[in-house]
Amino acid sequence: MIAKNILAILLLAPLLFLQPAAAVAAEQPETVCIQCHGSMPDRLGAPVNLWRGSVHAENGISCNGCHGGDPKDAANAMSPQRGFLGAPKEKDIPAFCGRCHPGVYKDYLASAHGRALGAGGPTCVTCHQNHQVMKASLALINEKSCTRCHSFERARAIRDAMSGTEARIVGISGRIEKFQVSGVDTEKMGKALFAVRNRFHTLFHDVDVNRVKSESAAINKELDKLDQALKVIDDEHARRRVVGGIAVAAALLLAFLFHAMKKTYD
Amino acid sequence: MENEGRRKFLGVCVAGCTVAAAAAAGYPVLRYLAPRSGQGGAAKLVIPAGELKEGDAKFFEFAGSSAVLIKTSSGQLVALSAVCTHLGCIVQWVKEKQQFLCPCHGGQFSTDGTVLGGPPPRPLAKIPFTVTEGNITIG
Amino acid sequence: MLNRLYRWLDLRYGIGEIAEKELTGYLLPRNINEWYSLGSVLLVIFAIQVATGMLLMIYYVPDADKAFKSVSFIMNEVPFGWFIRLCHAVGSNMMVAVLLLHMLSTLMMGSYKAPRELNWVTGFTLFALVQGISLTGYLAPWSQLSFWATTVATNSVSAIPVLGPTLVEFLRGGKLVGPATLGRFFALHAAVLPVVIAALIGAHLFFLKRTGVSAPPFGRDETANPFEAREYHYQGHPGGIPFFPNYALQDLSSISIYFAVFLAVVFFWPNMPFTPDAFVPADPFKTPAHIKPEWYFLANYQTLKIFPSELLGLSVQAAAMTFLALLPFIDRSPERHPLKRPLFLTLVIAGILLWIALSVWGHLS
Repeated sequence: MIAKNILAILLLAPLLFLQPAAAVAAEQPETVCIQCHGSMPDRLGAPVNLWRGSVHAENGISCNGCHGGDPKDAANAMSPQRGFLGAPKEKDIPAFCGRCHPGVYKDYLASAHGRALGAGGPTCVTCHQNHQVMKASLALINEKSCTRCHSFERARAIRDAMSGTEARIVGISGRIEKFQVSGVDTEKMGKALFAVRNRFHTLFHDVDVNRVKSESAAINKELDKLDQALKVIDDEHARRRVVGGIAVAAALLLAFLFHAMKKTYD
Repeated sequence: MENEGRRKFLGVCVAGCTVAAAAAAGYPVLRYLAPRSGQGGAAKLVIPAGELKEGDAKFFEFAGSSAVLIKTSSGQLVALSAVCTHLGCIVQWVKEKQQFLCPCHGGQFSTDGTVLGGPPPRPLAKIPFTVTEGNITIG
Repeated sequence: MLNRLYRWLDLRYGIGEIAEKELTGYLLPRNINEWYSLGSVLLVIFAIQVATGMLLMIYYVPDADKAFKSVSFIMNEVPFGWFIRLCHAVGSNMMVAVLLLHMLSTLMMGSYKAPRELNWVTGFTLFALVQGISLTGYLAPWSQLSFWATTVATNSVSAIPVLGPTLVEFLRGGKLVGPATLGRFFALHAAVLPVVIAALIGAHLFFLKRTGVSAPPFGRDETANPFEAREYHYQGHPGGIPFFPNYALQDLSSISIYFAVFLAVVFFWPNMPFTPDAFVPADPFKTPAHIKPEWYFLANYQTLKIFPSELLGLSVQAAAMTFLALLPFIDRSPERHPLKRPLFLTLVIAGILLWIALSVWGHLS
C-alpha cells in the first residue's frame, strides 16, 4: 500500500514540471470596421493598410478613434446615432485632428499655415498624411514636401535650427529607454523628457525663425539637466563594474589559494 | 617541512582574504538594512490655525515621532511631544479635564507638559512653533 | 583562548570525537574528483537564496497593487537593493544550472545505482521543487513578464483531461491570473517550498551519510558496483583521503570558483534574468508580443508546441520525467564506467543534444 502511494507520488511529481505552454494571442481583436473594409477595393479598403503603418496603429488608436461609430456592432457601425462622423471636409480637417491634439491645433491656427486655412493653405494631412499618419519629426520638413507650395529657404533655416535639438532629444530618449529596460526607475526622467519634447514640438508649427532659435536655446538648457541626471547613473554603473571586477578577482584568488592549500596535503 | 611553511603562509592569506570577503559582503547588507534618513515626516509642518478649536488637541507626525498641538480654553497654543516619558506610549487628550492621560500606566500631564501624577519621570518635551498670518508653523 | 574554549566544549560534549568521526576521520575514496564538490556548491547557493530572499522580504510587498513598485523601490532607492535583488534573481538561474551539472555527473559516474536509489530520487524531486520555486518566485515582481509567463505556464495544466480546467483555476485561485494568484504563489515561494526543499536536502544528506560516498568509476580496474543486498552496510573507504582538510579545501575552491562566475554575471550581465517586459508593470489587458519562459523551461515549452495536441505534449514530458525519476529502478546493471555502458552513454548524449536542440528551437521560434 505504502509502496503504491509512493509510486503514485513519484509518478505525479514530474507533473510539477509541466509549466510552460502555448503562446497566447498577442493581437487585439479586430474591429468590425477592419473586418469589412479590410477586404474592400480601392477607396474603401486602402485606408486600412495605410493605417496599419501609422503612429496611430502603433498606439492602439483604431478607426473609431477618429471617425466615431461602433466598432463592435457591424449592423450599426456607421450609424450617426452611434457617433459615426465619416470623413471631414478639407477645411474641417484641423478641427477633426485637433479634438485629440488641442495644443498642436492651437499652434497651427496661429501659424502662417493655419491662417491660410481655406485659402489654399495646408491642413494636417498635407504634411502628416491621412490614415498613414506619421509621427511628427523633422524629416517631415523636406524640400520635396515644402516646395509643393513655396520655396524651401525659410523652412530650411527653421529645420537647421531645430535639428541639433531633435538629435539630442532622440539620443537622450534612447539612453533613458536603455536604462528603463534594465530596471532603472526612469519615470521622472521620462516625464521631464516628455515635457521638453512637447515644448519642442510646439515649434514645429511655428514658422517664425527667431522664435524657433530662442526657444531651442531654452530647451537645450532643460536637456542639459537630463544629460546630467543620466550621467550620474552612468557613473554609478561604471563604479559598480569596477567593484564587480575586484569582487570577481578576489573570488578567483580565493579559489587559487584554497587549491594551493589543498595541494600541500596531497 | 617546506610544505609546513607553505601551508602556514597560505593559511594566513586565506584567513585574510576570507575576512576581507566577509566584510565586503557584510557592508552592503548593513547599508541595505540601515534605517533610511529623511523618513517619517518633514522637519517643518504648517497647520492652519483655523483647524483647531479652543479646548481641542490635534495629533500629528513630526520629525519621525508623534506630537500634539493644543489650544487651551484660554486660547493659548502649546506644541508638545505626544510620547509619554514613562515607557513611550502615546498620551491621550482628555478634553473635559484639559489634561493628558497616558492610557498605559495612568501618567497625567498638564497642558504645558508638566507631570501631574503617575509614573512619568519627566515632563513632555516642548516643540517650538511660530504663528504667522493664521498659520502655525511647527519646528 | 580558542584552545580553552575547545577544551571547555570537548569536556562537556565530546566535540573532538564528533570532529574525528565526521571531519578528519571521514574518509573519501582516493580517486574522488572535483564533480563531488557540486553538492556543497548547491548548499551554498541555497543558503544565499534563503538569505537574500529574507532580505528582499523586508521591502517587498506581496500585494498586486504594490508589488511592482516595491521591487522598483528595492532596485532604485534602497542602498544595495539592486545587488540583493540581482543576487536572488541570478542565483535562482545558477541553482538550476549547477543542479543540472550535479545530476549530469551523477548520471555519468553511475552514482545513482543501488544502494543509492533514494539519493537519486530525492535529488530528482529537489530538482522539480527548485523549478517550482523558481516559477512561483517569477510572479512576485508582478511585471508584464511575471504575469504573462505565469498565465502561459499555469494554462498548460488545462490540457489534462477532465480535471484540467478545475486544476488551473485552483492553481490560480481564480479564472485568470490575478491578485489571488500572487497570494498563493508568494506563500508557496517564501514559506512552503523553502521548508520542503530544506527537509528534502536533509533527507538527501541523510541517505548520503548512511550509505557512504560512492567511489568514482574512473582509475580503477573493477568499476562494477560492489553492492549486495544482504544486510545494511556502510560503504567506507579505508585508506582514503580525509574530508577535512583535504576535500573541504576542494569544496571551498569550487565554491570560490562558483562565486567568481556568479558575481561576474551579477555585475557584468545584470540583464541575464530579465527581458524588457520585466520592467513594465503587469497589465492583464495587454499581452506583450514575445513571451518566452526561462531558459530551463524552453525545451518543455517547445515540446508542447510541436505536438499536435497539448495533452500529447504533456504526456510525453510526463513520461520522460517519470523515466528519469525512476532511472535507478530501470537501469539495474551494476556496471558504472560510462565507456563500458555504450548504450547508456549514447542515450545520455542524445538526450542532452535533444534538450539543447529543443531549447534553442524554443528560443528562436
